[in-house]
Amino acid sequence: MTNPYQQHSPSNFDSPASGRVPPLNARRPSYASVVSGGPSALARPARSGGFSHLLNPSPNSEQQAHSGYPYSAAHTSMFHADMTYTPNGGSSESAFPIDPLGQAMGSGLWPPRLGSSFPYFSRAFDLYMSKDPSITADPMSTDDVRFPSGAPMPNVSSSGFLAPSYLRGTVYLQKLEGKHRADVLAERERSAAAKAGPTSSSSPAVSRLPSNGSAAHLPPAWTKVPGSSHRGVAYDIVEKPMYPAEEEDDDDGDDAVSPLPSRWNRDDKEAALEVLSDGYEVRHTGRTSSDHEASAVRADHYMSPSCGVYYFEITVLNTRSDKVKNPPIAIGFASKEASISRAPGWEPDSWGYHGDDGHSFASQNVGKPYAEMFGIGDTVGCLVNFRLNHALFTKNGRELPIAFKDIHLKDVKGKLYPIVGLKKKEDHIMANFGQRPFMFDIDGYMKRQRATIEEKIRLANTSALVDGLSETDLIQQLVLQFLQHDGYVETARAFAEELQEEKKALRLTAEEPVPGINIRDDEDAHNRQRIRRAVLEGDIDRAMRYTDTYYPAVLRENEQVYFRLRCRKFIEMIRREAELNMQLEEQRRNSRRGARNEARAGDDDDDGDDEEMLGAGTTTTTGGGQNDHDLDMAMAEDGAGAGGDDAAAAGVSKLSQELLAYGMELRAEFKGDPRRETARQLDEIFSLIAYPNPLKVKEVAHLLDGSGRVAVAEELNSAVLMSLGKSSRAALENVYAQTCVLLEELRKDGGDGAFVTVSSVVEGIPPSRLR
Amino acid sequence: MSNWRAVVERAGGLDFDSASRDLAQLREALDRMNSLMSAATPSQQHGFEKRVAELKAPKKDVNALILDYLTMEGYPKAAAKFCKEANLQPQQPDPSIHSRQDIQQAIHSGNIETAISALNKLDPEILDTNPELHFSLLRLQLVELIRQCGSGDVTPALEFASKKLAPRAATNRDFLNDLEQTMSLVIFSHDSLRPELRALLSSDLRRTTASKVNEAVLLRQTQRREAAIRQLVRMRAWAETSARGKNKDLPESLQLGLNADSAEYGESSHEAMITT
Repeated sequence: MTNPYQQHSPSNFDSPASGRVPPLNARRPSYASVVSGGPSALARPARSGGFSHLLNPSPNSEQQAHSGYPYSAAHTSMFHADMTYTPNGGSSESAFPIDPLGQAMGSGLWPPRLGSSFPYFSRAFDLYMSKDPSITADPMSTDDVRFPSGAPMPNVSSSGFLAPSYLRGTVYLQKLEGKHRADVLAERERSAAAKAGPTSSSSPAVSRLPSNGSAAHLPPAWTKVPGSSHRGVAYDIVEKPMYPAEEEDDDDGDDAVSPLPSRWNRDDKEAALEVLSDGYEVRHTGRTSSDHEASAVRADHYMSPSCGVYYFEITVLNTRSDKVKNPPIAIGFASKEASISRAPGWEPDSWGYHGDDGHSFASQNVGKPYAEMFGIGDTVGCLVNFRLNHALFTKNGRELPIAFKDIHLKDVKGKLYPIVGLKKKEDHIMANFGQRPFMFDIDGYMKRQRATIEEKIRLANTSALVDGLSETDLIQQLVLQFLQHDGYVETARAFAEELQEEKKALRLTAEEPVPGINIRDDEDAHNRQRIRRAVLEGDIDRAMRYTDTYYPAVLRENEQVYFRLRCRKFIEMIRREAELNMQLEEQRRNSRRGARNEARAGDDDDDGDDEEMLGAGTTTTTGGGQNDHDLDMAMAEDGAGAGGDDAAAAGVSKLSQELLAYGMELRAEFKGDPRRETARQLDEIFSLIAYPNPLKVKEVAHLLDGSGRVAVAEELNSAVLMSLGKSSRAALENVYAQTCVLLEELRKDGGDGAFVTVSSVVEGIPPSRLR
Repeated sequence: MSNWRAVVERAGGLDFDSASRDLAQLREALDRMNSLMSAATPSQQHGFEKRVAELKAPKKDVNALILDYLTMEGYPKAAAKFCKEANLQPQQPDPSIHSRQDIQQAIHSGNIETAISALNKLDPEILDTNPELHFSLLRLQLVELIRQCGSGDVTPALEFASKKLAPRAATNRDFLNDLEQTMSLVIFSHDSLRPELRALLSSDLRRTTASKVNEAVLLRQTQRREAAIRQLVRMRAWAETSARGKNKDLPESLQLGLNADSAEYGESSHEAMITT
């Protein structure tokens, strides 16, 4: 195994400036490879290689460790001032935004601003960095400076979100990420509002000119095209299982979104310790304490039981001049009440593993022989399993036996902090709170925990859910009831028929009667199906007409649904316009090609005329409407040569105007709505006008996505059901929601629920795209 | 609710039988009302129910669960209709669902020979690599033979057993046990069987064997054994059991609401729909 860190050997520091960028991409394991725990050369650096320069004592070893060690300094943070947070809007396959830094670096843009000859990790930049005004000016960067997200920390996103590999897929981390994303967006909106000032908040619709897809129509200046703040929040809200906010932190350690420990806490350390700039390293400054004392530091946050398993590692750095191999260093966890002037494990509510004797200490100053000693160059991990209420340690990637059983979590209110204790001058450790791959295969450990619980689930007895129904029968009923409830009339009928055939086949004798399956085939189901069909086909007008006819009260009484329908109509118009434009472009390209091939004179002129005409259409907002061609007719003549082209162009132009008129109508209608969300959603969809072809712009294309239709259709369907006095959800949806909440309960104290999620079940299904 | 109960119970002092019947009916009606009203008046809900009501299952997920179920368990017509009605792309091509359905259908109706040859056509290696599956099918075939013989001549069944099953049973203790158990059907009268023997003659054996075969085919085709909805339902059952075991604050009973909608319909209740 080659050592991925070797390229940062101290010698680089003095090498002539080549501007060569280290192949950082190579050591950024993909999300998938980290999760799968597959054999990745990057996951666990060979100890003998990766830390070898720490193991070789030399007079200036401390200096070397600092300048050469890729993790030690606040090296790369400044470069993130430019990075934008990517709230992985459209992409659903990756739960975590892949740091765009990697690409930026790979494409030779890196380092972005410094034409400097120093390697990126050089301390020579420290001065520069702290003074760079652009960093402090951008509110985003304050976050990024705290979390340097350079290559050594593949588990930290560019906006500073720490996502240790072993916690990925857990609800705990999903919640943290949701919170983080909301914070970033809020911050961004605040800063955008501050920058933009009052003038630019005027209606974008007013300032818009109809566009016919000609490239000449650039988006108006007020749009921040890349990375602007309108990104897929509105629709995500409906499409993701949302966990309602927990009740206020009720002081029993249940707060499920307590952040992960991410660094040592400068305000929670004994005076003799120094927390180095990045917050990962701790050094003893030498004010020696007496024999029965030691200096400890706790991490910034407690280990939340709701993550199920918490794990962190420390590496003992080679910084001592006296060459003592196993200095008195201790790793463990402790409550906030435990004294920081005593070694971890000596105090009540404190547990530790000591390197100088290999003993473990469970809240008393008499230790028990536990495992081997550890010292310079060793990486020691501390694993707390909240599900089994025990803790164990690892050494250099190897799992040691269980150190503490039956930890009385209840008595310490569940709030236990990672802690480390040092005793002698120059002792120096560096922690990994999950920002980098761990030496120990914690992902594998987590996988085994999960497998244990999945096995329990596999063996669960479902017969108690509904009396007298076997699992197969229950599921058949759940599916059938869902199909009927949600108005999938034809599917329900087909399914019932197939079930009936199955029953018939299962009869042991031909005389046995076939049990009947009653499909409730009522008018309402058909009506609802008609409405859904219309929405799914993008014909919002038809859907609203049906709804008004069959259920006149629904739209009146469900303002939100009405609003969403009206918005969707606007989106559909944009979508239609964009599609027509694309067709038109395609046609033109074809006709040009055809003209060239057949060398027909005058055809080019025709094209010129077209463009002039279109130009006219775009500059006048009232003209161009005289052509009363129905759009559908124009569409019908698709590909019929120049004549069809004319008509289609006119159709587009007409559509553009209707779109504009409708947009203004929409804005006027909801102008008085005091809700912030309404205004935000309107802004979001109006921003679509800015793009010549929003279907091609990744940042906004998802707003036009067909999945938005599904969301609107289902909302409308629920409203209709409610108006009929029926439960707004099918039993299957109850099953889903109940399971989510039950797991939530089981997650609170770090129990089994921390290891499984409902979404993981759904994710097992191969993705089926919308047609 | 308890007031109602008290009233009814007082009334029940007069005629115990009819009152308890009434009480049962009243409870049922109240349950339905509760489930209807709970949607409208969240403030009176148990905290748990409230959280459930606030949590929305994404339709995308639910639709995916349904399509997955119809595809995996082999309901091709329903799967195709659902794709159309819900605007989804099929998860598997139609013919592959159909061929699995045909095999299941054959097993369900007791035509094991047909099923085995269809299975061999679909996947020539599947039975060779999975002796347990092959044995299950052959044993079901034996059960079907015994059923056909009834109280008459059992020679065909005995012949089949000694020719097809006995050689396999010799290699595996479990197989042998299964075979011995099955053979006892030949000896005992079918009317007075022990429950575990009687179970062999019920249609459940066909059903479980059919799903075993389906799972084996799926595993080889898609690396997935069963529909995700099964995991969800089991997860639901397990989660409730675990939560109750940990004394979590839950409502006395958690209703799935399978019959919630039929309450106001009255005339067509789901109970009549599917019975085995």
